Amino acid sequence: MTTQAEALSAPQAAAGSGQGLLSWVMTVDHKRIGIMYLITATAFFVAGGILALLMRTQLAQPNATVLSNAAYNEIFTMHGTTMIFLAIMPLGAGFGNYFVPLMIGARDMAFPKLNALSYWLYLFGGLFLFSSFVFGGAPDAGWFAYAPLTEKLYSINHGMDYWGLSVLMLGTATTIGSINFVVTTIQMRAPGMSFTRMPMFVWMTFVTSVIAIFALPSLTTATLLLLLDRLVGTHFYNVSAGGSALLWQHLFWFFGHPEVYIMILPAMGLISEVIPVFSRKPLFGFMTVVYSGIAIGILGFTVWAHHMFATGMAIGALLFFSANSFIIGVPTGVKIFSWLATMWGGKLSFKTPLLFAIGFVALFTIGGLDGVHMAVLPVDWQITDTYYVVSHIHYVLFGGAIFGLFSAMFYWFPKMSGRQLSETLGKWQFWLMFAGMNLTFFPMHMLGLLGMPRRIYTYADGLGWGIWNLIETVGAYLVALGILFFLINFFRTMASPPTNEADPWDAFTLEWKASSPPAPYNFAEIPSVRSRRPLWDEKYPDKADWKQGE
Amino acid sequence: MSMGNRPTASRVPLIMRIRKAWLLTTGFVVAAGLSGCAGSPTFLNPASSISDHEAGLYMVIFYLALGVFIIVEALLAYALIRFRKRDDDTEEPRQVYGNMRLEVIWTAIPVLLVLTLFALTVSTANAVAAPKPADSDVRIHVIGHQWWWEFEYTDYGFTTANELHIPVGANVQIDLDSVDVIHSFWVPQLAGKTDAIPGHTNYLWLTAGTAGTYHGQCVEFCGVNHANMRIKAVAESEADFKAWVQGQQQPLYQPQTPQEQAGQDYIVNQICSNCHTLGEYEGKRSIGPNLTHLMSRSVFAGATYDLNEANLRSWLQDAQAMKPGNDMIVNLSSEDIDNLMAYLTQLK
Repeated sequence: MTTQAEALSAPQAAAGSGQGLLSWVMTVDHKRIGIMYLITATAFFVAGGILALLMRTQLAQPNATVLSNAAYNEIFTMHGTTMIFLAIMPLGAGFGNYFVPLMIGARDMAFPKLNALSYWLYLFGGLFLFSSFVFGGAPDAGWFAYAPLTEKLYSINHGMDYWGLSVLMLGTATTIGSINFVVTTIQMRAPGMSFTRMPMFVWMTFVTSVIAIFALPSLTTATLLLLLDRLVGTHFYNVSAGGSALLWQHLFWFFGHPEVYIMILPAMGLISEVIPVFSRKPLFGFMTVVYSGIAIGILGFTVWAHHMFATGMAIGALLFFSANSFIIGVPTGVKIFSWLATMWGGKLSFKTPLLFAIGFVALFTIGGLDGVHMAVLPVDWQITDTYYVVSHIHYVLFGGAIFGLFSAMFYWFPKMSGRQLSETLGKWQFWLMFAGMNLTFFPMHMLGLLGMPRRIYTYADGLGWGIWNLIETVGAYLVALGILFFLINFFRTMASPPTNEADPWDAFTLEWKASSPPAPYNFAEIPSVRSRRPLWDEKYPDKADWKQGE
Repeated sequence: MSMGNRPTASRVPLIMRIRKAWLLTTGFVVAAGLSGCAGSPTFLNPASSISDHEAGLYMVIFYLALGVFIIVEALLAYALIRFRKRDDDTEEPRQVYGNMRLEVIWTAIPVLLVLTLFALTVSTANAVAAPKPADSDVRIHVIGHQWWWEFEYTDYGFTTANELHIPVGANVQIDLDSVDVIHSFWVPQLAGKTDAIPGHTNYLWLTAGTAGTYHGQCVEFCGVNHANMRIKAVAESEADFKAWVQGQQQPLYQPQTPQEQAGQDYIVNQICSNCHTLGEYEGKRSIGPNLTHLMSRSVFAGATYDLNEANLRSWLQDAQAMKPGNDMIVNLSSEDIDNLMAYLTQLK
């Protein structure tokens, strides 16, 4: 199988390897596609961040008039949709595209042309969504777009049509990409790289892709029904014509909860690469981490209705979803202990990649514990749909996913560009983001407890909400300053001459065996693998993992 | 009606009884520290048995989570300090791949924790779940509208808006509906939230333990004025409640002056009654709030504004400026406004 894939992919990879803009448009090289994913997703991340700053500016004080209610609703809808579909997911896909083939010792993805198709669908899906700002109004019903609010009767402008069509394009892109990852992982591993020897990031991308393949059809179906209602006049969600107001929520969250794991599992994989390298130890309890990832993937499909605890379901159903939501906390906790144990007894060097990985562990712990609160039905009835939930998702998706992605960005930047990002600027960025995100998102716990609903563009004075909101707004600008440091770092580094160091971190996995940046064909000779840390084995033959009887 | 039909002690889980003293000490400190002012609508300052249960359970979870948080972050902090690499150290650390016993232990501990939490969840959920309709003393049909709340007191035969009155100590059953999109009814100090879903009636119940005025609002995003769909809940003594009910049951005020007559005529014969109901003059559709006893209420426009003459006049002059996007799109002459004001302000 491997030789067949080599024969196929080597000439294709070479085809798009020239210079100039057209070579990037035509490329099917997984590394170039990965870079395009990363740059596009970073641009959308910055756009989504600007939307967040607008929201925080409006909410800094009670009864503020920075934004109108209509504008605010468009902005929070676009912030959520952008960050989830256009920033976090494609950042994971970008690193996956670039590094999965390198880490398994392959020359490209299994289907290079499909890979390009999935990127271009993503790019145009995102641009199409943002074009709604210019052409007749952005979507304004929240990123989970509850029907019947999204029906034509209640959302008259074309915003929801843009949203629906864009989600279909992005869903198609993700499905294609996921199939590609699954086939690549199964078929294209280097000789000796059994499933149990695959790097954790490859494992988590694999699990994520399987989740996406099973979760997305539900979103696609729900969105198609919505578009049919809106554009053709069917009545799937139209209650007065016999439709259902709850159908959307079940279909959406059957996708929507696995979606959370689609966003967080790749980041868990990323820090599972970074922490061992900067602790100088292998990942503690490797297979336990793998099994917990698989468990999360499966259990993720059994908890969707915990987003719907207030919809008046029967108590039996409520308790079923509550129980599953508790259980899914266990494999998540197991991973945290594995990362701690990896650092335990290690020799930690606090480079920026490790700082962001530690940030992930520290912050995700808070997000996870918040998540347990949501599973407690009577507590959830109080805190759901309040700022408590907003705090939870941002500790998971910002403190977790985004910190993990920045960890990987600093870790792999030398491999992708041949240049190392400035450590000084990187540390400034980390501390600004760490302080800023806690200032922004921690007080949201208080606001949730104090009764502030999410998604309100204004609030009355005298409810005790003003001070926390003001603190949050200050925090949000600190985060933005941190991101500014990253952008400065990026452009300064790219303007400097490359050092082309192949293995600057003294790392363990195969991507560091290739040159920096790697040749279009990745490896002149396909490496063979005897353990989970092939490069460690090569550099420290007397302490090789395969000698330890792993 | 029979009052004082409170949940019996047997329905109150053991942990909730232990919690009582706990909440009054630590919990209240947390709540007070959180708010810094008594005005926050927080379930941690509960005014009903349901919110009381929920607050008690929250505090249990909070302390458990706090314990886990401290352990994990302390282990992390210790590792970061203890195992940092010294500058002169070039030797690799001992390569440890795993430890089955440890991994089993740190899988088992969370399992035990969540089993405990689940047991607490089951017992509290049963204690606060909706009773059979026969258990209720007062039954209110709450209807969500974009963007205001309609309260239909079916037992007493009147309908009001935005300001909810309930007697202290009574079991109040709420039948929850929506006429348009999904809303969610929430008065934190009285009960957890329940969605108001079109075509799908939900039920909740609550029992106010303390008289007072409680802030609530819609918590499911429902369109452009979601933020301005608030609730003023008034829990009052049985005597006050009865007096309020009698006031609401009074027949429609009849005009005493030509100007008041002109105001009433305008409501009944012009566009107002397309949406609003006024006494026996049924609106064609229940789109806007019932005006029969308008001035008995202290808030209007989805409980966003205090109801006084100045605010009401501004509203008639330009409702869109006060609540952009609301359904009241009218263009009244100043004479119409004067007439309407003369009549509306008499609707006590």
